[in-house]
Amino acid sequence: MPTAKNETPKIINLSGPLTVERAQPLKTELLAALAGKGPLLVSLSLVEDLDLACLQVLYAARKSAAASGKEFHFIGSVPSRIVKRLQAAGFLQGAPERAEDFEAELVDF
Amino acid sequence: MIDKFKAAFREESFELLSQLEDTLLELESQPRNGELINAAFRAMHTVKGSSAMFGFETISKFTHEIETVLDHCRNGTLPITKDFIGLTLKARDHLRRLLEFDEPPPQELAHDGDALLVRYRDYAASGAGLKPPAQAGAETAAGAAPAAPVAAPQGQGHADAGPATYRVFWKPKPGIFRDGTKVLSLVDELASLGDGHLYPHTECLPPLESLDPESCYCYWDAVLTTAKSENDIRDVFIFVEDNSELKIERLEEPPLDDEGRSKRLGEILIERGLVTRDSLREALGSQKKLGEVLVEKKIVTKPEIESALVEQDHLKKVQEKSELGQGSIRVASDKLDALVDLVGELVTLQARLSQTSFEIKDGPLASISEQFERLIAQLRDNTMSIRMLPIGSTFNKFRRVVRDLSLELGKEAELLTEGAETELDKTVIEKLGDPLVHIIRNSLDHGIERPDARQSAGKDRKGNITLAARHSGAYVLIQVTDDGKGLDKEAIYSKAVERGIIAPGQEMSDGDLYLLIFAPGFSTAKVVSSVSGRGVGMDVVKREIDSLGGSVSLSTEPGRGTTVTLKIPLTLAIIEGLLVRIEDEHYVIPLSSVDGCIEIKREELAAYGDRRILSYREELVPFVSLRGAFETPGAEPEIEQIVIANSQDMRVGFVVDQVVGDYQTVIKPLGRMFKDVEGVSGATILGDGTVALILDVNRLAAAVQRDGLRRSAKGVER
Repeated sequence: MPTAKNETPKIINLSGPLTVERAQPLKTELLAALAGKGPLLVSLSLVEDLDLACLQVLYAARKSAAASGKEFHFIGSVPSRIVKRLQAAGFLQGAPERAEDFEAELVDF
Repeated sequence: MIDKFKAAFREESFELLSQLEDTLLELESQPRNGELINAAFRAMHTVKGSSAMFGFETISKFTHEIETVLDHCRNGTLPITKDFIGLTLKARDHLRRLLEFDEPPPQELAHDGDALLVRYRDYAASGAGLKPPAQAGAETAAGAAPAAPVAAPQGQGHADAGPATYRVFWKPKPGIFRDGTKVLSLVDELASLGDGHLYPHTECLPPLESLDPESCYCYWDAVLTTAKSENDIRDVFIFVEDNSELKIERLEEPPLDDEGRSKRLGEILIERGLVTRDSLREALGSQKKLGEVLVEKKIVTKPEIESALVEQDHLKKVQEKSELGQGSIRVASDKLDALVDLVGELVTLQARLSQTSFEIKDGPLASISEQFERLIAQLRDNTMSIRMLPIGSTFNKFRRVVRDLSLELGKEAELLTEGAETELDKTVIEKLGDPLVHIIRNSLDHGIERPDARQSAGKDRKGNITLAARHSGAYVLIQVTDDGKGLDKEAIYSKAVERGIIAPGQEMSDGDLYLLIFAPGFSTAKVVSSVSGRGVGMDVVKREIDSLGGSVSLSTEPGRGTTVTLKIPLTLAIIEGLLVRIEDEHYVIPLSSVDGCIEIKREELAAYGDRRILSYREELVPFVSLRGAFETPGAEPEIEQIVIANSQDMRVGFVVDQVVGDYQTVIKPLGRMFKDVEGVSGATILGDGTVALILDVNRLAAAVQRDGLRRSAKGVER
């Protein structure tokens, strides 16, 4: 990965249901993490549910990261429940289990 | 000639009757579904018509009467009751038997048919329900659905025209989250209406700093092929009408053009109002791809192009699907088997050709041989794909088993299925039938509790048995899950002791304990029922699955249910193998179970001494010397190789002289003489005409575990 050696990545472990009530706190958390220097790694492994509001926050965070030249990646595995939900809404075509495949397949991510 | 037609008629009727069974079972749970009643009527009508044409008069007369009654049901003048479904299922079974005979059928069959028709006439005469048959069964207890006119098939102006394709644009307003609307659930509901593609647009999303987390920025383009009407689609969004923008448009399906495309990208973009004809013409003038040019010129955005391409792709698939039905032909399965045999011979011959060309080092011959190899590989894959059938074709048989058996046992249960489209080799599917029936019967008999017991345990009175199939590498996993009471550990233990399968006081892991139910002569049922409990079921299952090269595993949770998992190889005819050599003997290890190969010096190997466990990818793996196991004479080479293979739940290393390489293995069965040889599942013929044995990794691994590598010790320490 072409990141500078000194920058330690910031890992964010998300868990529980990510529904609209969590969208604002999630935005704040990700903004704070983006203010740091290192790449941002987000794990969805323990997320029980993901609705559009929180998905939008993740998309927007990726956009911001790209604009400021930072790396933003998913890590770990993605729960099949989340994959199924996003598949049904057209965000995913396949059924990726690993975060890197998930990231690559997510529409326009 | 007429015999040929009769055979075709029989085959077609068998298929219709199997569909009819499926339809009837569905109708039982949705007695007012007009489309299902129509389907049942049509099936009966087709059998009637073609049986008359081929001189099967008994069948024609029999179906005529049933058709009449079904017609009344269709018009809503007769209700569809559980008893009626039961009777029609019996009539279907009767027809299935009649089809086995030429005209006239045996006396007793004719008598059975008359008895069934009497019940139909009674049903039609009563107009409300059936008189119970002489030997009243459990069925009569079932209630009747009220006699209401059957709902007409849904649709707007194209009721019987089959599915139509719609373009749906849905853009929720930014404030939609504030009403508590679950946007993804609505989209999910839309997708569930039919077969389609959705394209979410995220391009309006701002960077995180300026994002209002409680506003909706996304919107969707969808193409949906469905039998539902436009109004049904509209109904999905009925509660958010004021809070979103919705456009639904029915798409005509134009014929495919010369390049196999149903509609050109430009046409779709113009229809969507995204570009004008002029800008399209201008863009087409350049040599680049249309989408790229339009995006470059900022006439449309990239997501808009992507979304239009999704629609193009979907339309093409719909078109192909509808053409697929017309383009298929019926082929006798023995012809297919003969084809596979011939392909198998070709693969073997090809191996000889490439070996010969390698030996005589002839350039032109080598190039022919390579081309030949590629063609043969394609031919093999193609032939194998012809033999693949969706496993769903057998599912309706199991639904019937569950239905009939739950009535017999006084239980309430339903069979749910998943992954019906999973494809498996025809012969594998045929051999799976009996084991699956055994497992499902067992789940129903021993797993699912009686309705009262379920209720007092806080469960739904009706139990569920789920039959799920999915691909996993070169295997298909088939799982039968029930939500019953789970396995009774103590009962299994004491029964196993009583039967002398294990010694009293013997300690074992839960996993091993549960697997005892697959041991021969094991049964925990206190009362032997006619269903299961004779203790001949589950050991037969294990044997059958083993013979398919598969494995059985089991998990259970007290009070929650049990899952039996079958792991079945996709095909039995030709596999990818890894060819290995020990002295002059060659062996094949199925490539699907090979994890990796490592090299090791002889003295290093000897240094392991009695432990015979090596560290592989940070895991301790037992290994066995095949030279020792097969008692092959001769000395080991300086450097030996270890093939690490995955067995059911462990890895095992096999020490060989040399790993030759991958090899197209046409499996030939060993004769009955060799059926008890452990560790070998078959044989194959090599390029030079010699025979190589195919190793049974699971059995060998089990042997490694069982006798503590006793035999291999000889090989390693020699």
